[in-house]
Amino acid sequence: MATRDVVLTPRGYPSSGQRLLDQVESQEAQRARRDRWNTTLGRLAFAAVFFLGWELSSGRIVDQFFVSRPSAIAASLWAMMTKEALFYHLRFTIIEATVGYLIGAVAGLALGFALARVDTVYRIIEPFIVAFYGIPRIALAPLFILWFGIGITSKIAVAAVMVFFIVFINTIAGIRAAPPQLLQVARVMGASEWALVRKVVFPAATPFIVAALQITVPQAMIGAIVGEFISSNRGVGHLISRAAGWLDTPGLFAGIFALLVVVLVMNLGINLLGAHLMRWNPKQGGGRDLP
Amino acid sequence: MPAGIIEARDVFKVFVARGERRRRRAFLALHDVTVTIQPGRFVSFVGPSGCGKSTLLNMVAGLVRPTEGAVLYKGAPVLGINTDVGYITQDDNLLPWRTLVENVEVALEFRGVGAAQRRGRAMDFIQRVGLRGFEHHYPHELSGGMRKRTALIRTLIYEPDVILMDEPFGPLDAQTRVILQDELLRLWEGTGKTIIFVTHDLVEAIALSDEIVLFSRSPGTIKRIYPVPLPRPRDVFRIHADPRFPAFYDRLWRDLKEEIGSEALEEAVHGNA
Repeated sequence: MATRDVVLTPRGYPSSGQRLLDQVESQEAQRARRDRWNTTLGRLAFAAVFFLGWELSSGRIVDQFFVSRPSAIAASLWAMMTKEALFYHLRFTIIEATVGYLIGAVAGLALGFALARVDTVYRIIEPFIVAFYGIPRIALAPLFILWFGIGITSKIAVAAVMVFFIVFINTIAGIRAAPPQLLQVARVMGASEWALVRKVVFPAATPFIVAALQITVPQAMIGAIVGEFISSNRGVGHLISRAAGWLDTPGLFAGIFALLVVVLVMNLGINLLGAHLMRWNPKQGGGRDLP
Repeated sequence: MPAGIIEARDVFKVFVARGERRRRRAFLALHDVTVTIQPGRFVSFVGPSGCGKSTLLNMVAGLVRPTEGAVLYKGAPVLGINTDVGYITQDDNLLPWRTLVENVEVALEFRGVGAAQRRGRAMDFIQRVGLRGFEHHYPHELSGGMRKRTALIRTLIYEPDVILMDEPFGPLDAQTRVILQDELLRLWEGTGKTIIFVTHDLVEAIALSDEIVLFSRSPGTIKRIYPVPLPRPRDVFRIHADPRFPAFYDRLWRDLKEEIGSEALEEAVHGNA
């Protein structure tokens, strides 16, 4: 039997097969587009139902004093922006949370690296770390107010301590999770201690570190707000606690909403950074099909 | 006998393991091992599981120290990590956060070779093992055979005088295995490098090696050293067809079976007790 003469396409398939391939690929693309579109629609519908339900049930099913209503909150938010210098207060809160976050993260990373690399040191201090971790960190806030005064410094300290322990512990866990065989092979290939840390240990720990950096963003915000609750005359926490003092529920919700937006934006930034750092990871980065 | 590139002299190794109720139990992994490996030879270590073949390999790399005796590299005892050798393990140990070409370059990076030069050399090796077009893929995007080729060339690229291979083709399927054996021989032939190759596969050992070192069951000691009676260059795909192959294989297998058989017997006795 003679072999069939077939025309091969650039991808190396016979033309009849290529036609089928193109068809399936375009169907798949269409289906993916439809799925994305449906998800977006579903989300919008969910938000609409949620806010509409809130608006309608408020004053009818639940006392408006307790839950307020979206329209009143929006009005209150607008008033805050125009009359009460929301952005002025927001700026303080964001600075406190951000600076605290950076200090906590850098300190956690540095100390984690310093301690986890030396086995004996790690074994000695491990139970102490666990004990410190057990302290409800928010309980330290009054102490920091006492130490650093009612200004911005004490809130930065609270935010930093909220972030520090989580980053610190995850850094240690990440470093200790680096496969020993990988380290051995790198040593035989001629890696110096410093090259080993920079090119093997640190990247191996990134999944842990990135996870810690992501979950601590709202923690930093919690630290800043709690600090402001305890004592301050500026910041969104101050606005919220003042609104609560006046029994101003819409104002309270407006403050919470402003914080929500800030944390969402911060999360978005850190998630982009995480996706970039983790692009090599099959679970997080975008996989690629073999040609 | 001329001095070898690698010599083990009266090597004993005791390992300590944590037994029942945290009691530490020591056991003998290597018992009085003496062997000399000549430069430029391809030598295979075969023997039953747990006989200490990999331990001896780790000693040459400086990852494990003998409890007694000495391992010499180019006449001097190995006291720290031996960066003159290359080490390829059963796992490919690629860095998952680096692309193929970045993985191939890593040893040159550690050794301070400039960026342009190492990229050029890496691309040359990538071309030679047919990985062109995949250089910017991450390891999880490559097949097992491609990853193994990458592990192979990232070691060859820095030209170590000795390459230690610990069951490198173990996890691969039968076809990929033979293809890689063939590629290894082509890459190695004419380089004058010394290779020590640990394997459980007698056909693989015969197809690749100049010499086969047979270890006894644990505690490992060297039972016999066989020169492989086949000429080079070799065709690994048709190694069975060589008229000298069957007799040599049978002899090797008979000697190895004694070690495995009695080990299995011992285990059965202990298991029933």
